Amino acid sequence: MIPVAFEYFRPQTINEAVGLLSQKEDVKILAGGHSLVPAMKFRLAQPKTIIDISRIADLSYIRETNSQIHIGAMTTHHLLESSDLLRQKCPLLSETAANIGDVQVRNRGSIGGSLAHADPAADWPAAILALEAELLISGPNNQRTIKATEFFVDIMQTALQPNEILTEIRVPVTSKSVAYVKFAQKASGFAIAGVASWIDKSKNSVRVGITGIAAKPYRATAVEQALEGRPLSADAIAQAARKAVQGADPLNDMHASSAFRAHLAEVNTRRSLELANSR
Amino acid sequence: MKLTGSYEINAPRDKVFAAITDPNVLQSSIEGCEKMVKTADDTYDAHLKLGVAGLKGSYVGKVQLKDIKAPESYTLVMEGKGAPGFVKGTAKITLADNGDKTELHYEADVQVGGMIAAIGSRLIEAIAKKMADDFFKKFAQQVQGS
Repeated sequence: MIPVAFEYFRPQTINEAVGLLSQKEDVKILAGGHSLVPAMKFRLAQPKTIIDISRIADLSYIRETNSQIHIGAMTTHHLLESSDLLRQKCPLLSETAANIGDVQVRNRGSIGGSLAHADPAADWPAAILALEAELLISGPNNQRTIKATEFFVDIMQTALQPNEILTEIRVPVTSKSVAYVKFAQKASGFAIAGVASWIDKSKNSVRVGITGIAAKPYRATAVEQALEGRPLSADAIAQAARKAVQGADPLNDMHASSAFRAHLAEVNTRRSLELANSR
Repeated sequence: MKLTGSYEINAPRDKVFAAITDPNVLQSSIEGCEKMVKTADDTYDAHLKLGVAGLKGSYVGKVQLKDIKAPESYTLVMEGKGAPGFVKGTAKITLADNGDKTELHYEADVQVGGMIAAIGSRLIEAIAKKMADDFFKKFAQQVQGS
């Protein structure tokens, strides 16, 4: 339970952190530390350099700006869970946050850290995909924004370059017609099948993000298209939910076979859409 | 843990077989293979860095080519030990003609033990599958490119 020795830096600004990322070798960014620190203690991760971004001022906030909500990358799951602004204006994030790990994890773990770690069973990606979030990234020469659908590349791999830091997550203001339904692995709380949906009743459009099923989280576009512009009857939802794993390759592991995962994806897609539709 | 996969490689079977039994090609196809030294016929000592993103471990082990039936099939035996645990695996690789192209199929049986198995079990299979995919992708690029 003792990590391999590493060099430790605690920059005060994002620029300083990005500079360190470019200079140092074999670096990991330490945010809330609830994925990285256990991996280091078990020596599954042995980075040579740690850049602790927890003291960078102003990376923890939830603000409303022009019908969007901007969230700092270091905002903890707990702050997202308990934010009145989110409960009113983007309740899918409050609901998702409440589903993450346990109280201790939520008190320390951060949304940006979780997204950048890209664990295929993390909860946030489902909501972030369903909300068509934009992610703001800082690099040595510029800032760029990237769509959530382009952020997740493969298992534990994102579109972040080695010298970039995820700094902000931008989501739209939504109605209450959202839901996150997950089947969790009992011991860890990680998602075996987590489905986030957002129904925009004014446009008759549906967005579905799925995590835990495949090596990377994905938008269930086949489900969305099947329901686009249609009245959301129980039948239509059940039919569409059958397409939950279309185009995805369900994982197989000791907790769930790929066939069971595919089944859970369908059931939770149906339940998530029904719940969102009832709200 | 059993893994299988098929890939189509845009090169004739003889060429593919020669490449997939060539230690130089193998070494440059394995992401994170730092060293591969011949110790006996068809047997090599290897230094590998395996894993994804932040979860990477160093392993020292052996790679052996067995049951070579050119240009049809052979078995690749690998074992490695490192701080995160041990990895042992055999992969039977079969090649079939498909016009000018070659159909490569593999069936692997991999055992993982030690800390990485105890803690990382949730992710091991997905990571192993990705590593196999990366290997064959890189391999195909090399054979098609040369």
